[in-house]
Amino acid sequence: MFKFIKRIFIWWEVSTLGTQWHTFLHGEKVGSDDEGNLYYKGKKKAPLSAGMPERRWVVYNGDMDATRIPAEWHAWLHHTSDLPPSEAPLETKAFETPHETNKTGSKEAYFPAGSPMSGGKRASATGDYEAWRP
Amino acid sequence: MATLTIDGIEVTVEAGATVLQACEQAGAEIPRFCYHERLSIAGNCRMCLVELEKAPKPIASCAMPAGDGMVVHTKTETVKKAREGVMEFLLINHPLDCPICDQGGECDLQDQAVGYGRGLSRYDEGKRAVKDKNMGPLISTTMTRCIHCMRCVRFATEVAGADELGALGRGEGSEVTTYLEGSLNSEMSGNVIDLCPVGALTSKPYAFTARSWELKKTETIDVMDAVGSNIRVDSRGNQIMRILPRLNEGINEEWISDKTRFHYDGLLKNRLDTAFVKSSGKNAKLKPASWQDAFKAIKKAAKGVKADAYGALIGDLADVEAMFALKTLLGQLGSKSIECRLDGSTGQTSARSSYIFNTSIGGIEHADACLLVGCNPREEATLINSRLRKRVRVGGFAIANVGPKADLGYPVEELGNDFNHLAQVTVGTHKFAKALKAAKNPMVIIGQGALKGKNGAGVMASCLELAEKYGMVSEDWNGLNVLQHAASRVGALDMGLMAGGVDKVLGDKTEIVFLLGADDVDADKLKGKFVIYMGSHGDAGASLADVILPTAAYTEKQATYVNVEGRVQRTVQATFPPGEAREDWTVVRALADVFGVDVGFNNMGELRAKLYEAYPHFADEDVLDGHDTKGFATKTVMKMGKVTSIAAEFAGGYYMSNPIARSSNILAEVVANIAEQQGSKAHG
Repeated sequence: MFKFIKRIFIWWEVSTLGTQWHTFLHGEKVGSDDEGNLYYKGKKKAPLSAGMPERRWVVYNGDMDATRIPAEWHAWLHHTSDLPPSEAPLETKAFETPHETNKTGSKEAYFPAGSPMSGGKRASATGDYEAWRP
Repeated sequence: MATLTIDGIEVTVEAGATVLQACEQAGAEIPRFCYHERLSIAGNCRMCLVELEKAPKPIASCAMPAGDGMVVHTKTETVKKAREGVMEFLLINHPLDCPICDQGGECDLQDQAVGYGRGLSRYDEGKRAVKDKNMGPLISTTMTRCIHCMRCVRFATEVAGADELGALGRGEGSEVTTYLEGSLNSEMSGNVIDLCPVGALTSKPYAFTARSWELKKTETIDVMDAVGSNIRVDSRGNQIMRILPRLNEGINEEWISDKTRFHYDGLLKNRLDTAFVKSSGKNAKLKPASWQDAFKAIKKAAKGVKADAYGALIGDLADVEAMFALKTLLGQLGSKSIECRLDGSTGQTSARSSYIFNTSIGGIEHADACLLVGCNPREEATLINSRLRKRVRVGGFAIANVGPKADLGYPVEELGNDFNHLAQVTVGTHKFAKALKAAKNPMVIIGQGALKGKNGAGVMASCLELAEKYGMVSEDWNGLNVLQHAASRVGALDMGLMAGGVDKVLGDKTEIVFLLGADDVDADKLKGKFVIYMGSHGDAGASLADVILPTAAYTEKQATYVNVEGRVQRTVQATFPPGEAREDWTVVRALADVFGVDVGFNNMGELRAKLYEAYPHFADEDVLDGHDTKGFATKTVMKMGKVTSIAAEFAGGYYMSNPIARSSNILAEVVANIAEQQGSKAHG
């Protein structure tokens, strides 16, 4: 029961029932990315005269974290590209690395060498002295 | 005397002065690279060109003797053009690497190019490249930057006495080199870094660590030897980045020894940054403790200890305030057992003039005969040795040595390592006696090596007799000199910190021993005693202690030192002591509370007031006492062995003579380099 109420009101863990209902009625599946996030666009084309662009949205597979969306799908979601990557995949250059989510605040967050979070051993700096120990 | 007109200003200069000196006197600034006041005149950079009326072309003012009636112009169009031309030629082969050059910001060429050069370069051909030379662990070379002023060559030849630098090749192929790719065989080699007007010779340990404008400059004095060289300590944050000399004509002119210049990294190594207390039990070990715990341990050990069971030994780097505080503390506890002569020297100490360098360092230049007795001034007081060398170069200076043979960098008549020669000179039968007799201002320098041990008193008595016989002490001249080599020694002797030798202080009845930075102490003699070590560095003394109280090094406190001439000088604090370390006298003040006695001062002002009250001369900074001759009529019958060797060896070697120097990696590298060079010489 609690889970059900959560599905109605809480939007930051999984998509709410409202979103699912809307997706069922008006969504047209466009594709999915490596993480399993599903991408939809509106079935109904908005009249051009209204100046409304096509509606595009994502239903996350798990955590609602915007940084999970890879660059090519991000571009499609934000109307940077007309065609989704499932139809017109982006060219991948040799130097490109796979998409990663933002690790800030998590255990895998980056700490520079010398930070207490990564061992705390830093290179010597001005004023450092070597203490004598017997 | 010559009277010249410079830019319309009439000046009178001494005979022998140059046009450049006359211009300076008239307030006209003359750019120069090769000219240096303390070196011979070379006249090869041509930067000092000025216009002389009736001369067909501009003259090099540094090399032109000032003549009567000369009319000189330094601000004309011709002079400006000449300087621009010279600068343009200098810059043809000088790389444009100021952003990566250590000299940047304090470079003569940079400054003068801005002041006297053309705005633009017309040169677009290739620049010449010169291979860098190896000059040992202290001097880093970038010979492409060299402008061939030859200051370093002249310095090595004239001042350092190491004829190992020179120029090879001609014209564009000319290169300054050490010939054999080795470091200079001199304790003064670091001065070429200051002399170099460009970035060709820079300090290797300092390389790329700091820029001159980001450093805090603190003018203080050096304690590596008893000379008390005036230095400038450059620090960034709490780290001393380098040490430079400061001008003091009376002491170090503008030179300092390599030990003074390069010991600074030792100030950040082996530091005592917390108190230590030795744990009790079988495996007693020193363990870090708080000040309170350390004081508690001392209080416990002091329970029921009799007044005469306290003793103190003074190390070589102790300052006057700390020694005075410790003396007062011991006095309040009821003990007089405090000793500064750790090396076992037994010189006469009844009058101040019998343990200081009476002639004064500057006074050496007026002497005309000198007898060295058991001393090696090159190692014991490098700057005094360079003064002696300066005097030798002038000529008319008879100098002889009684003691072990030593290479001092100038010719010395070796009389032999035997006291009997000294006796013969004193009696007047030796051939050197003639030179002393003929001299107007004769002097004798007695080293600590000669005053050590059984013969010390005899040597001193003999030298006093010698001084008297050859008129070394008169109204306006005092030629009797004792060469101390510990920075603390003269100050300690001034306060009478003598208790009949180390053995007496560490006698059976002594139970608690204070070591004020004293490291050269025999471990066996300290057995069974409660040892309180106060010092800045963990060295031999610290490992013998039962309680260690960390104190500040000389750059971390305001303190008084008395140099070998009896000149009172003060250090200025450049950085802060590490961790829990405190200034020495404050530690002694805290100890007074632990022992429950009143030493009568709570701050530096009160301490100094008490100090001046007891010993007024400590208030007179940078003053020589004059030629105090009292206490010289000592007639002791000479009792000396027939053949006795005089040991003037420096304990632990020249570069390793104190805890700071021993902690220094740079000086350790120097020692290793010297050993390597000597090894290659022996095998090659």
